[in-house]
Amino acid sequence: MSLARRNLFQDKTRLGLSIGGVALAIMLILVLKGFLAGMNRQITSYLDHSPGSIIVAQEDVVNLLGATSLLPEGIDQKAETIRGVDEVIPILSQFVILDLHGKKQPAYMVGYEPEQGGGPWRLIAGREPRSKKEMVFDRVLAERHGLNLGDQVEVMGRDFTIVGLSSGTTSWMTSFFFVRKQDAEDLLLAPGATSFLLLTTSDGADLDKILRRLNDFSGVNALTKKEMASNDLKLFAKVFSAPLKLMVGIAFLVGTMIVGLIIYTATIERQREYGVIKAIGAKNRFLYQVVLTQALFASIAGSSLGILLANGAAQWIMSARPQFLIVFEPVDSGQALLAGLGMALLASIFPTRVMAGLAPAEVFRK
Amino acid sequence: MIRLAFRNLFQNKARLVISVGGVALALLLILSLDAVFTGVERQITAYIEYSGADIWVSQVDVFNMHMASSSLPDTVARKVKYVPGVASVSPILYLTNNVVAGDERNLAYIIGLPENAEFGGPWSISSGRSLPAEGEAILNRNIAEKSGIALGDEVEILGKEFKVTGFSEGTASLVNSVAFISMDDFEEMRGSYDTVSFLLVKVSDGESPEVVADHIQSQVRDVTAQTRNNFAAQERRVVKDMSTDLITIMNLIGFLIGLAVMALTVYTSTLSRRQEYGMLKALGARNTDLYLTVLAQAILSVILGFLFGLALTLLLTVVVPIFGSNLVLEVSRASLLKVGSVSLVIAAVSAMLPIRQIAGLDPAMVFRGR
Repeated sequence: MSLARRNLFQDKTRLGLSIGGVALAIMLILVLKGFLAGMNRQITSYLDHSPGSIIVAQEDVVNLLGATSLLPEGIDQKAETIRGVDEVIPILSQFVILDLHGKKQPAYMVGYEPEQGGGPWRLIAGREPRSKKEMVFDRVLAERHGLNLGDQVEVMGRDFTIVGLSSGTTSWMTSFFFVRKQDAEDLLLAPGATSFLLLTTSDGADLDKILRRLNDFSGVNALTKKEMASNDLKLFAKVFSAPLKLMVGIAFLVGTMIVGLIIYTATIERQREYGVIKAIGAKNRFLYQVVLTQALFASIAGSSLGILLANGAAQWIMSARPQFLIVFEPVDSGQALLAGLGMALLASIFPTRVMAGLAPAEVFRK
Repeated sequence: MIRLAFRNLFQNKARLVISVGGVALALLLILSLDAVFTGVERQITAYIEYSGADIWVSQVDVFNMHMASSSLPDTVARKVKYVPGVASVSPILYLTNNVVAGDERNLAYIIGLPENAEFGGPWSISSGRSLPAEGEAILNRNIAEKSGIALGDEVEILGKEFKVTGFSEGTASLVNSVAFISMDDFEEMRGSYDTVSFLLVKVSDGESPEVVADHIQSQVRDVTAQTRNNFAAQERRVVKDMSTDLITIMNLIGFLIGLAVMALTVYTSTLSRRQEYGMLKALGARNTDLYLTVLAQAILSVILGFLFGLALTLLLTVVVPIFGSNLVLEVSRASLLKVGSVSLVIAAVSAMLPIRQIAGLDPAMVFRGR
């Protein structure tokens, strides 16, 4: 143990660099995972905060984001007649691409009736839209583009005035903005159109029964908001999991290479000393332990520093670019330490082979 | 000194492999992320690029297809057709929705094509029909295979059953695929018969698409007319503008990791060559000569790391699609230039670390046997 420690600490710069390298690799893994977790939270933010527990979409539409839904006419009146349904809130929603200061910004437009609900859940300034061509804009997006209450934003060729700023309505990919449903219908050239119905139910109502009744109507798909949120998560996980896994895999290999380099160099430099130890009777097992202890120390110290760095980097990224939400789950730190352990084990393979091939007599020949 | 750097570098093969490998992987991080986004840009513009249209006409101030909605009264098609220089006009209907087969749901651009559509249909068919008749759908082959759909099987789109009569190639992306159905089915499902999403325009021989697009823009009210290239460029801008911040953050982390690996390599290798450098000093070499040796060594390692990282990225561009992923990686020239410059900065910065070691080296040390 003390031999391993002395080997490692003999050159502090080298140790510092290797711990720093591993820390950066672990930080990258954690930031990527935190980024995905944050994105998942942002993806479901509308469903998490909008009123009601049931959502009615067009037949075969199971997602809020990603799919276009257009409900058959009169479905809202039919839904209201179902026992246990308290309120039926229609919304017309659609992704649009805004051009803000020469930058393309995808945004999710929600057309809603302010007196019924389905709009922004946290207004931090201003009010909800009352008349034509008024909008509630996302605070973060507004800040990024220097927009404020009273400013105009062009949506599909029409100028809307920002009358309110909402919070919790942003994500890396897109932000939500809210207009009156009538305005959304005009923009989409779809008079009277409704994308989704948000249904609130009375206390103690049988949700399954209500869902069955709704699904008996032709051309609709009724599901709980939780189900739809989970479908949206699955959809985006499908898109992002492959690139994310690729990045995490590369980061892991980089970390392993760094630990490998430091342990290999430390082993080669001490080859003569290890030969002496072997010559005086030490078994290979003892030398392997020395190598492994060094690898474990470098990688665990690196992983721990990586966890701290990841937290610091996340705070920095979120303050510099508020559209990113980076969330760390408690299990992430444990996984980072396990990744460090994996790096140590893999990085020890090559130096232990060098050690195994070491002839004890070598030392006496020099 | 360059020769010395070369020999220093290649003398210890294991260290060389680890350091070059470490830098290569760090650069791979930057290269592969760039390649992912370039691939996505290529994929999401594929339908536009291969549509066969010279000009795309959309709702006024709608400049994109992806994550956008366009609606035009069908009377606009006639107006566009009368614009000088227009050879033919083909309308399409478009929305994003799921193609359902059993428990499998795949997000797709659903394109409604008129009968005998001249363009806007699938551009490469691996089997079956090339245009959908009523009640028929043409799906992407890859997606269909993954979902266990064969020709003749039924799928559900917007609640209606369709018989799969053709498989297309090159119509899938990381995000979605393209499914083609007839315009009549599309209208029936949407319950709307008097609007189209886009008009695909072919210009007459010898006419410039830019000039004809300008004519359409000035002569037809409430439309946006863009050449195919401009429309595709607008789509690429969406991906670029969305990903810029993310790529910058990842590039910074990749750069720091590359720097740490390179600094570690240069530092350990200089340290292990202390005696040789002391000998050179004793023989009259100046500090500057030794710095240049270290710098040359760092540059050589980084060049090798860059080449190796590039080779790995190119390998990934081949391997990833083999595993059935719709993730396509494409290395762009801009990315190569960026990573090349980053590599040189890494080499220069990492070579500064051993300066203190070299400057403080005592030439007499070698004679004392230290």
